[in-house]
Amino acid sequence: MNEYPRRDFLKLTSQALLAASGFLGLGGLLHYLNFSTQPQPQTRFDLGPAADFPVGSRTLLPDVPALLVHGESGFSALSLVCPHLGCTIEHSSGDGLTCPCHGSSFDADGMVQRGPAKQSLRSLRVEVTGDDQLHLFLS
Amino acid sequence: MNETTHRSIAAVSALLLLALVVVWAIESQRAQPVGLTPTLTGEVEYCQTCHVGLPEISPSHPVDAFGCVVCHGGERLALEADLAHSTMRGGSNPSDLSVVEQSCGGSECHSGSAADANDHIQRVMTSIQATYAGAIANIRYTFGAQADLVAHQGIFAVMDDQITTTTGVPALEAFDPASDANPYIHQFGDNCLGCHLSAEPPEGEAFARLTGCAACHTPDINRFPEGQIHQLTTAIPYTQCNTCHNRGNYDLRSMEFVERTDEPLDRLHDYYQPIAQFTQCEWTLDCIDCHTPEEAMGNGDIHSNQHEVVYTQCQTCHGTLDELPLTQTIVSEDDLALRLAFLNPVTELNVGDTILITEQGEPLWNTRVLPDGTYEMVGKATGEVFSFRPVMGTQCEQDVTEQRSYYCHECHAVER
Repeated sequence: MNEYPRRDFLKLTSQALLAASGFLGLGGLLHYLNFSTQPQPQTRFDLGPAADFPVGSRTLLPDVPALLVHGESGFSALSLVCPHLGCTIEHSSGDGLTCPCHGSSFDADGMVQRGPAKQSLRSLRVEVTGDDQLHLFLS
Repeated sequence: MNETTHRSIAAVSALLLLALVVVWAIESQRAQPVGLTPTLTGEVEYCQTCHVGLPEISPSHPVDAFGCVVCHGGERLALEADLAHSTMRGGSNPSDLSVVEQSCGGSECHSGSAADANDHIQRVMTSIQATYAGAIANIRYTFGAQADLVAHQGIFAVMDDQITTTTGVPALEAFDPASDANPYIHQFGDNCLGCHLSAEPPEGEAFARLTGCAACHTPDINRFPEGQIHQLTTAIPYTQCNTCHNRGNYDLRSMEFVERTDEPLDRLHDYYQPIAQFTQCEWTLDCIDCHTPEEAMGNGDIHSNQHEVVYTQCQTCHGTLDELPLTQTIVSEDDLALRLAFLNPVTELNVGDTILITEQGEPLWNTRVLPDGTYEMVGKATGEVFSFRPVMGTQCEQDVTEQRSYYCHECHAVER
């Protein structure tokens, strides 16, 4: 039986250990480089064909959250983030809007009817592109 | 290289590999960060990485809008518990009065203007329940440390630069019983300072409550699993008031608080002191059904005893032989009564409804004047509906100048 030289064995072991460490370290480095930070909040929403929102419609967009209105004069949108403390506003009876947190209420145009909110609902920018696609912008 | 060098390289390589494996193992066990960006702050926080599944604290403070950090403090980006909790306010209770301004304050929250009825913190910090000024003034007066019964000292120093009542005082110094020579005042300090909003309660389920706002607004903490107390409500049952107000007596001879040892269950027969008398409404309603926010939380002035702020009497709801109780018809969507009713929706109140109001003008929003001239009250904690009528036009033989409850008890006290 051939005896494996002690020195060669130690050399091979060292190389194996160093290689394994290298691979682990490299893996860690790749993991670090691939780290994704928290994505920026979405500020543009593609709502699809404008024809899907006929004149006279009032459409809740819960993902924004916003209320899309298609009036006689075109599209407009109201943010459904309460200007008081940021809760998401809900539809109440009729065209009114009510904040479920503290009871602020707003009329169909977003004007304050009851506090504690002191400001009206923020208007959002709505654009219709040449190919009749509707886009809503938070800023 | 000689063999010793090879051995050393092998050993160092093994240690390096071991260290990397340990780091990898720790990292692989760490929870994936769960971020939340509340609409109020717009800043991501990672508290929900660990604190997942906690119930919403109240409909008025949804976590999607408020997040955790705006109330609790803490390091919003930290993923390691000790670091994340290192800058929390008030430990697990951000409503403790030592930190309440930072946690619950703000002009749009609970330290707004008196005109908007949003000055809760200013009112509570000057209230008898927080200052304990009445008891302190009485003891210091009794043992010669002050010449009158006016409050000069409180649990903490506090000022009021807008006195609105005839009994308000401008400021209190912090009560320091150790600085007084009288041993009874020392004993009072040692044994009798457990009944204010900053004091930890005595041991025992019957005393169990938190401090600060949560002392009242987080009722019945015994029902929560440990570490899961997360509720604020304005529907406060009488049992919560009783964690302080009905749990024993002060013994002025030994200057100590003698705790009740029984566990009363029958409210009428067991709950209260044997000599106490009650009309039906006093033992069937919850305390907050009649006693107003200003009575419980203060009216913004510093007072010398509770009698200067507690003013609700039988006549507040029932009137007298000569006068009906005060009423108010809600004419505006911005009426305070509507806001209060919204926060505890046990009754549907609308513009046009007529409710009772107190002599100080506080709305009893859980009452309603009915078309036949009688009244209705909805229990704020129970939702139970009670009907009652005015004294005027009845056979009541009251002297209209005698309206303290003991006069009414002469005829209307229930058998106990």
